[in-house]
Amino acid sequence: MKTPANGSAFSIQGLKKRYPGFSLGPLDLDLQPGVVLGLIGPNGAGKTTTLHCLIGLLVPEAGAITIFGRPNHPDDPRWRQDIGVVGEDSGFFLRWTVEENLRLVGRFQPNWSDRRARGMAERFNLPMNKRVNELSKGNKAKLAIVAALGHAPHVLILDEPTAGLDPIVRAELLDMLWELQEDGEHAIFYSTHVLSDIERLADELVFLCDGQVIQRTAKDDLVESWRRISFRLAADATLSLPGVLDHRQVRLEHRVTSCDYEATLEALRGLGAEAIEHVRMSIDEIAVEILKGKGAPHVAAR
Amino acid sequence: MILILSELSQEPLHAQISRQIRTRILAHDLTDDEPLPSIRALARDQRVSVITVQRAYEDLEREGLIRSRPGKGFFVMAIPEKRKRAVALERFTTAITPILEESRRAGLGDEQLRTLFNRVLRGNEHGGKQ
Repeated sequence: MKTPANGSAFSIQGLKKRYPGFSLGPLDLDLQPGVVLGLIGPNGAGKTTTLHCLIGLLVPEAGAITIFGRPNHPDDPRWRQDIGVVGEDSGFFLRWTVEENLRLVGRFQPNWSDRRARGMAERFNLPMNKRVNELSKGNKAKLAIVAALGHAPHVLILDEPTAGLDPIVRAELLDMLWELQEDGEHAIFYSTHVLSDIERLADELVFLCDGQVIQRTAKDDLVESWRRISFRLAADATLSLPGVLDHRQVRLEHRVTSCDYEATLEALRGLGAEAIEHVRMSIDEIAVEILKGKGAPHVAAR
Repeated sequence: MILILSELSQEPLHAQISRQIRTRILAHDLTDDEPLPSIRALARDQRVSVITVQRAYEDLEREGLIRSRPGKGFFVMAIPEKRKRAVALERFTTAITPILEESRRAGLGDEQLRTLFNRVLRGNEHGGKQ
């Protein structure tokens, strides 16, 4: 794997941004090269604000942000060469062709390569001669990605890229990202409130709620450590079990949600619980529990 | 390599990958020193994250079924027949233990279990997979 110098693809430290009625941070976040990180949170959690601070669209009240070691300072725009952004509104000229739009974008990027952009357009079946207002939604999304990558950045930032796309187009767009991750040269930071989008692609997930990071985990750890567990036990509802967030009881029957099922099971066996059953949870179910509970009592960090 | 992966399975994705590759190695479908797809290529093919494939390969490496050569990727290990048998035995033991324990708790005696096991074995001896 080729890893550009300077460690992290990006690093955010002590980021703070305030609006009337909303405050983000203090927030720390970093991303290693080649890693796909999903930023998960409900609407209004601060996802877009975080991304906008990262890409220099917003000036934070406090915090240090670097892209491959370079501060994202407006006076020294070299950091922009390493970052590609796919935003909610890409601002293309609707009556211009794809090619004309890409060429315009390229004018603002010192490292832009028309050849690279054309190559990508070809690879992803994006018609260069069509006007943007004639493009399907899927092709518009592809254009946004090609425009974000024409200067060969090593980190790609996507803000809700699949919002409003139908499932087929969404799959196409995700296919593009799969292709991109294969060379190991792109870190991808992907914000979404639709977890199923990123469920398979992401290596790691970070959960944002009310302007705070409430958890960051390798996706596989999450899927492995959470379980719904049912059992029979003659105990009252004050039962305290490790890892358990949610407890329901009907007479002797209990059902709990655990974020550390091995610890929970061990405790249950120790208590002599019977008929223990446990099932895995979907990443969506887990996300709901995390965001609802604002993090686990003791987070499964391995 | 064609793998079948599903989120709906009780088995985590990385375990599905390692199991399916392990089966091929133990059955000699993948032979000694055969190269495996790179982590990222397999991730792309199977539409799973890099970290998921990485875990599957790490597990197989730990079991001594594959090995990595720096800069060249992963290869099936040249494993003696004895070792393959040991892996198969170990996996059989791991798989059968929970149901044995559960059955004992449900009150089945060892003698009964032996009889049952033999009956299942006989029913299965012509290669049927039930």
